[in-house]
Amino acid sequence: MSDMHTTGQEWDGAPPDVDLGRVWRAVATEVWRRQPSWLESRAAKWLGSPGLARALLTTPSLLVAWLISTVVVLGVGAAATVGTGLPLVALLAPAVAGAGIAYAYGPGTDPAWELSCSMPVSDRMVLLVRTVAVFAINAGLGLAASAASGQAAPVTFGWLLPMAAVSALALATATVARSANVGVAAGMAGWAITVLAAQATSGQWSSAITDWALVAPYLIFAACCVAVVIVATRVPKGVS
Amino acid sequence: MNIDIDHLTRKFGRTQAVAGVDLQVGPGVFGLLGPNGAGKTSLLRMMATVLQPSSGSLQLLGRDPASYSQRREIRRRLGYLPQNLGYYPGFTVVEFVEYFALLKEMLPAQIPAAVAVAVDRVELGERANSKLRTLSGGMLRRVGIAQAIVNDPELLLLDEPTAGLDPEQRVQFRTVLRELGEMATVVVSTHLVEDVGAACTEVALMDRGLIVFRGTPDGLRERGVGHSLGDAPLERGYSAVLADGRA
Repeated sequence: MSDMHTTGQEWDGAPPDVDLGRVWRAVATEVWRRQPSWLESRAAKWLGSPGLARALLTTPSLLVAWLISTVVVLGVGAAATVGTGLPLVALLAPAVAGAGIAYAYGPGTDPAWELSCSMPVSDRMVLLVRTVAVFAINAGLGLAASAASGQAAPVTFGWLLPMAAVSALALATATVARSANVGVAAGMAGWAITVLAAQATSGQWSSAITDWALVAPYLIFAACCVAVVIVATRVPKGVS
Repeated sequence: MNIDIDHLTRKFGRTQAVAGVDLQVGPGVFGLLGPNGAGKTSLLRMMATVLQPSSGSLQLLGRDPASYSQRREIRRRLGYLPQNLGYYPGFTVVEFVEYFALLKEMLPAQIPAAVAVAVDRVELGERANSKLRTLSGGMLRRVGIAQAIVNDPELLLLDEPTAGLDPEQRVQFRTVLRELGEMATVVVSTHLVEDVGAACTEVALMDRGLIVFRGTPDGLRERGVGHSLGDAPLERGYSAVLADGRA
């Protein structure tokens, strides 16, 4: 397309030895220069990659609207927990985190995902960084809500491991199915089945969170799901 | 050769999208023509290192994309405009182009000037700080082109770059293509034969996953002599080659 400076060079008032195109681009460089936020600068330093930092800050499930929704859901859960005594925050937090992780990265979630896959910044690294960030933020918000609801320590902290398992399930399913919605559905369904099965067995809603016999199954299940993600995102070797 | 392809194939289930393509391409503007479903986009996606070949070999800029470190080097030197480029509606034009400059691992100090040049080159200077959600389809396509050229790529892959551009913008874009082709290998996948005739130094015609013609636009025109289907010489050549291949 014709350069804008072409128009400028036709301007009679310009001295003949001045390249107005270069002047214009120098001005545009300064006018359009974007200063990274404090958070982006910190992230770039920690991650050692400005590109990865920017990719982190564009995570759909870390956008303000999503975070506000998470706070509202957990806040309502905390209020309901105080009112009813049911461990609602502990039951909600794994599902909320699973949804956030399924929507962290992938086709249909990230508008320019196809293009991102052609970038030197590894999309596996983008996935990893976004997943860790979403998990950490959801864990922090969940712990705050859980503490505010005044539950006993086993309930307050007991959902962290189930949250890891549900998040891993949602991530693995979303990665294999290449659909965030399918990932969310799998995570929610898996968690609902676990809670209902544990409640049916013990008669208590909190047993999926507080039963120590479930620790090993949660860990093994989460590890298996992570292995699925690693296999599903690998680049096959042998074909150049 | 910046692109060296040897018997490349790609299958999707039982569908053979690319059925054994051999192709060598050096600097210049190379047009990839063909009807819908011919395999152009699959071939371009393999060149863009986003799609793994089923078999065959592919060398880009003298490097093997199957190796992680070499693939990363290729990607630093690559510009790619996918057929369906998604946009972040809340980003401005500059933010979008800058984002991909960062993902291309350009030096941060070089990025503001490179973004200004790329945005200026696609004539979006007046809309540089507009949100993408406010732009027309043609403008969004130009934003996509800007991100593709922001790193001065040695290999530029454009899938239907003129889709959504008005006739004047298409003519201007062909000029940019010719300029880019003086320094880099530019592969343009399109089904618009007039784009190929005006901007490309070489052309390949794909059909059913295979390259059925390889030559210059003039050579393709010659193939259409005596053929009746098509309004322009290049269109007649295109139709004649496809008809011969399917006969």
